Amino acid sequence: QLDHGCALHTAARGGLSSVSPQDVLAERPRAVFHTSESDPAKHTEQHEGRLYSIPLEEVKAVFPHGLPYRFQQQIQTFNEARLMVRRPALELLTYLKSSNLAHPAVRYVIYGERGTGKTMTLCHVVHYCSRQGWLVLHIPDAHLWVKNCKELLQSSYNKDRLDQPLQASVWLRNFKISNERFLQEIKTQKKYTWGKRESTEEGRPLGEVVEQGLARVRSASDAVGVVLREIKQQSHRGSFRLLVAVDGVNALWGRTTLRKEDKSPVSPEELTLVHNLRKMVRNDWSGGAIVTTLSQTGSLFKPSSAYTPHELLGKEGFDALDPFVPIPVANYSPKEFESCYGYYLERKWLQHEKAHTEDGKAELQFLSGSNPRQLDRLAGPL
Amino acid sequence: TLRLICTTTAVQRKNARASGPEKYTEAFIKKQIEEFNLGKRHLANMMGEDPETFTQEDIDRAIAYLFPSGLFDKQARPMMKHPTEIFPEQRKIQWGEDGRPFHFLFYTGKQSYYSLMHETYEKFLNVQKHQDQLIAEDLPLQKEKRNLAGSRWLTKIELEEMLLEKLSDDDYSRFIQLLQKLVALPCADIEESYIQKFSKELPVQLQEVVIEPLQYDEQGKAFSTGEGKRKTARATAVVYDNGTGKITVNGADILHYFPVLQDREQLLFPFQFLGRIGKHDMVCTVSGGGRSAQAGAIRLASAKALRSFVTEKEVECMRQAGLLTVDPRVKERKKPGQEGPRRKFTWKKR
Repeated sequence: QLDHGCALHTAARGGLSSVSPQDVLAERPRAVFHTSESDPAKHTEQHEGRLYSIPLEEVKAVFPHGLPYRFQQQIQTFNEARLMVRRPALELLTYLKSSNLAHPAVRYVIYGERGTGKTMTLCHVVHYCSRQGWLVLHIPDAHLWVKNCKELLQSSYNKDRLDQPLQASVWLRNFKISNERFLQEIKTQKKYTWGKRESTEEGRPLGEVVEQGLARVRSASDAVGVVLREIKQQSHRGSFRLLVAVDGVNALWGRTTLRKEDKSPVSPEELTLVHNLRKMVRNDWSGGAIVTTLSQTGSLFKPSSAYTPHELLGKEGFDALDPFVPIPVANYSPKEFESCYGYYLERKWLQHEKAHTEDGKAELQFLSGSNPRQLDRLAGPL
Repeated sequence: TLRLICTTTAVQRKNARASGPEKYTEAFIKKQIEEFNLGKRHLANMMGEDPETFTQEDIDRAIAYLFPSGLFDKQARPMMKHPTEIFPEQRKIQWGEDGRPFHFLFYTGKQSYYSLMHETYEKFLNVQKHQDQLIAEDLPLQKEKRNLAGSRWLTKIELEEMLLEKLSDDDYSRFIQLLQKLVALPCADIEESYIQKFSKELPVQLQEVVIEPLQYDEQGKAFSTGEGKRKTARATAVVYDNGTGKITVNGADILHYFPVLQDREQLLFPFQFLGRIGKHDMVCTVSGGGRSAQAGAIRLASAKALRSFVTEKEVECMRQAGLLTVDPRVKERKKPGQEGPRRKFTWKKR
């Protein structure tokens, strides 16, 4: 399979200048870090520590808003998207493959220290599910909904709650890009009134609701709520499988930095988006799975050394999410570190002369502590 | 008679001029010594110790205890020493009541210097005479060379202190040349005792740094400890052999304790210098100081611990690289009349 991978790799490179014997020799060790297996469904322990590539069109379709910023920059620089296959992701994939869809949705919480690759694991799982044809509800970062919001409108649906039109419309747009075909298939089951004149009849495709939300920004949050409710109600029928992927789920139960007009603080329940999302994350529906990530980086009012579910979710969140399957993500193992380092070398990202030596590698490993984020930041200026 | 109320400027100047260093009379010195001894006994009583066996060290300790001072300069702190150490030796009056000087070389101006030169030359002639005698008797000349490498001549300042009068560089160099000529003669051993008055032993070598041998813990792993400090931070490091390069600081991982890259580079430096990055494990404790100071302290401690694992040549290399030296820089004191150690207050024209 190695040779197969190597041959595909050289072919995929597209005929570069004449392949001299040195090129062939140099490419052989390179192929160890990569696999040509671009379907996450077929990833097994053999592929652990290797990087697989996602075609760029798929990236645009599946991840309009999910990838971390630095990774997006890396994709632009290298002109390809390479994701490392790691053990937590493989574990999650096996669980998903063997999950029984008739049972209520199982919740998975990915947790770990800062910069160990939780968001990337989530993206791996999302890619798998989208390949398998699931309906993916991907919220890139729930922290964006509880802080730095410029506009807060009082919800027309429920007087106590507050709307966030901007965030809701952004999310709806991205949702539309990622799940085009589902929006035509799923039909509404109830009649929804958006105001004095607009309303959506029963049996209309969900795409119309989304269009409505995008066109009338004021009612975008309500549109989001409608979409979520419809999807939840129809998922157990079995026509499609639903994956709820939330990054930074601890934002739903913490505090917010938003204030009402009379300067009183807003608690998360008073936000429509958060309220609806909490309903999704409850496991009272079947026919899919819920995969969430804890994130300390964007979290508010939490110490920087906190990374366990208990600390970051707080009592309320923990009770709400309980029971769940915890999946810890750790720093790079030596093998994973080697493949990441090899990848940077191969793409000529490490320009420094010393970086090519064994000593340089040992130095990088020491200074980054095998932490993926630190390694990425270190390798940047080199 | 009229009293001169306003004196002329010349007289005023003479009165105001400093009359040189104060002359202490012999009686004054004697009184000081008596007072010192009495004070010593009083102090011994106060501290509850035996007045008879109260040494100078005990006095120093007692004074430091009774008058604690935070001044940096040791000479500025309160001290109680024998008057001969405090009052500098001075030349007594060189002439008698009739005005006639005691020493025959008084009118040369540098009487002790010239008398010293005369004495030394006398010894020189003595040695030459002895040598001639031995040659006449055909006896073998003694050829025991003095160890010149381990001793040095007195410096000009030390010689001035000995003679109690000022010398010029030229005088000093002439004296040293004479001494060297004397020593060069084969039979100079006769005047050995005289020569030893003017030579001093050099300290043998800079403090011999003892490199501790490796210690072994229960499982047979070799380890060694080291201590280091920087500014106000103190650190101890234990470096284990056969490791993976993992470092623990105060119970936490290095990434957690030092989020800044610069500190981690400081820790990396000793290992990188010796080329042993992934080979040792380290457990260290550190307290005090700030983030940079703690990193520097751990660096010093780990370098000291690594000495036991490494050959002597590499230890010398480390020393020259500056890995084993304590960084003497500390925070400078703020001075009165200034805003900080160097910064002056804003200057306003009016």
